[in-house]
Amino acid sequence: MNKQKKWVLNIGNSILPVLLAFVLGAILMLAIGENPWDVYSIMIGKSLFTVKGILKTLHGAAPLILTGLAIAITFKAGIYNMGVEGQMLLGGFMAGIAGYLITGLPPVIHVALCLLIGIASGMLFAVIPAVLKAYFKVNEMVVTLMLNYAMIEVLQFLTEGPFRDPASGFVSTPRIAETAMFNKLWGSEITPFFFVAMGVFAIMYVVFNRSRLGFEVTAIGKNNRFAEATGMDVKKKIMTIMLISGAISGLAGAGHMMSDQYIYSLNFSGLPGLGWDGMLIALLGMHSPVGVMIAAVFYSALITGSQSIAIYSGVPKEIVAVIQGLIVLFLAIQFIERRTGVISRWTRMMRTKKIDGVEE
Amino acid sequence: MGITSNIVYDTIYHSAPIILCVLGGIFAYKANVLNIALEGFMLMGAFISALFVMLWGSTLLAGIIAVGVGLILGLVFSYFTASRNGNPIITGLAINMIALSFCAFMLKVMGTANVNVSSLVSVADLKIHIPIIQDIPILGDLISGHPPLTYAAFIGIFVMWLIMYKTKLGIYIRVVGEKEEAAKSVGINTTMIKYIAILIGAVCCVLAGINLSVDRVALFTNNMTAGRGFIAIAAIYCGRGKPGASAMYALVFGFAKSLSVNLKLFAGPISGMFEVLPYVIMVIVLAVVSVLKNRNVNERGFES
Repeated sequence: MNKQKKWVLNIGNSILPVLLAFVLGAILMLAIGENPWDVYSIMIGKSLFTVKGILKTLHGAAPLILTGLAIAITFKAGIYNMGVEGQMLLGGFMAGIAGYLITGLPPVIHVALCLLIGIASGMLFAVIPAVLKAYFKVNEMVVTLMLNYAMIEVLQFLTEGPFRDPASGFVSTPRIAETAMFNKLWGSEITPFFFVAMGVFAIMYVVFNRSRLGFEVTAIGKNNRFAEATGMDVKKKIMTIMLISGAISGLAGAGHMMSDQYIYSLNFSGLPGLGWDGMLIALLGMHSPVGVMIAAVFYSALITGSQSIAIYSGVPKEIVAVIQGLIVLFLAIQFIERRTGVISRWTRMMRTKKIDGVEE
Repeated sequence: MGITSNIVYDTIYHSAPIILCVLGGIFAYKANVLNIALEGFMLMGAFISALFVMLWGSTLLAGIIAVGVGLILGLVFSYFTASRNGNPIITGLAINMIALSFCAFMLKVMGTANVNVSSLVSVADLKIHIPIIQDIPILGDLISGHPPLTYAAFIGIFVMWLIMYKTKLGIYIRVVGEKEEAAKSVGINTTMIKYIAILIGAVCCVLAGINLSVDRVALFTNNMTAGRGFIAIAAIYCGRGKPGASAMYALVFGFAKSLSVNLKLFAGPISGMFEVLPYVIMVIVLAVVSVLKNRNVNERGFES
């Protein structure tokens, strides 16, 4: 398959599921008696057709790019790491704690410290499934899912108990100090955290496409026995991949805390959660960094728009989560190439015609 | 009842939905389809049954509708995985996400935080008191007085064992799981067998969901399954798909859950931490079982 055709195929396989999901979402909205056209136009208009909306969309995309990358690197290596949500929550929580307990530091140092704490805690939490997977061959998917639930419970306990803000009317940790916050730029939602995320994106782009590790990740994902046979230490690589994933997840949580939430509450990461959104984004972006970034911006636009539809129409914003689930469902199969083979049939037809032409 | 008998009663109570889920998942596992949509099927079953009890007031009718919806979801899952060769993990996660967000969406549309049907369904009346056993001093308290689907779960272990090992269907399912090409070569319709395995799973999970919501508490709250589907998968992995063994691991979880519920009363301020127990215990059990399984396997390098 030549490169250009593959590219067209990838685009088609990403866009068709999205369109189908939107159609089904529209049917659901019709069923509850709302006009889907209005809802979609509000959703897109508010998030992509004003400067403020675009900046807000980019702001929302920052943590999603990170969780998407965190999942993409493990999925690409054939590891079903579902622990990004838990690692992200822990990173956010720890950054939040450091943000209000430590005071009196200059802003830049405080921000850097909180980010580092978030990264470290995300990484540490990823050690458990990484060791279990690499050295004891425990199914990583079940372990990471269980640990997510465990982490949610632990953080809920900590937020309701020891770290609860007594002054707050609902369950949350105290607000982080001013010095630990990312400042909003140009009077809009966007903060320097977006550029941090872009920096990580640039690094990951190089890692995926130009580095030895990126090549090894692909090799392990394609066939880990062959990778082992060529002399890779697959166990060590799995550890590395999982730790990188944990670190990026922790950074995502810390950044979300310091640029958007400022407190850890029980719906810190929303529904269904930044980690789960990251999974959709990694799938939508075909596990490649550029794809992840485009998908993250697209998805952030959906979320930004969904906040407006609840205000301007009677449709609950959960509709976006339903559409998101549908997109993932349709992404599970490749629409164009696998079964229908529309494009390959078409090119084959063209080729035979050409050959016929030559023979004449 | 003392604390010990409370723990035993609660163990049975909490393991029932997971056993039902395990029984459902086993067939897909044996047919070599990794079905992680158990959670979604279960949540959908819990929601649809509660919803239709509220609308129509009939438990039986609501149960039938819920099973129907579960079958539709099961068909979607089978179509994507068995017919279209989609990735079962992604399909399963998608169904879980759709179920979770659909329930949240519907709750918002209806304008309630939960579906409460306690005025229509009396949980106390649903409980079955077994005639002779309930009069035996200690045993009666423990075994008698559970909701009907809890008994169905425990009877189901035996029924599923029968289907799996004593019927033609069970043999077909296992053959498809072990060597699909071989099954095809002797003329078994492998796709259909996979459909059947997944659909049995969907029905069992819906029953688990009904057990969770209508049967036990007459209430549906958002995300009330709380990962039980995945615990069932962990139990299936640990028990390697054998009905009896896998159900045993489900009981282990039920025990952990009942410990966390009962010990909470004595724990005071740190009682919240006991919620973590079941999940952590499941990870430890899974790790120990994997280590034991791989202890005598000597392979060159790494193989997942």
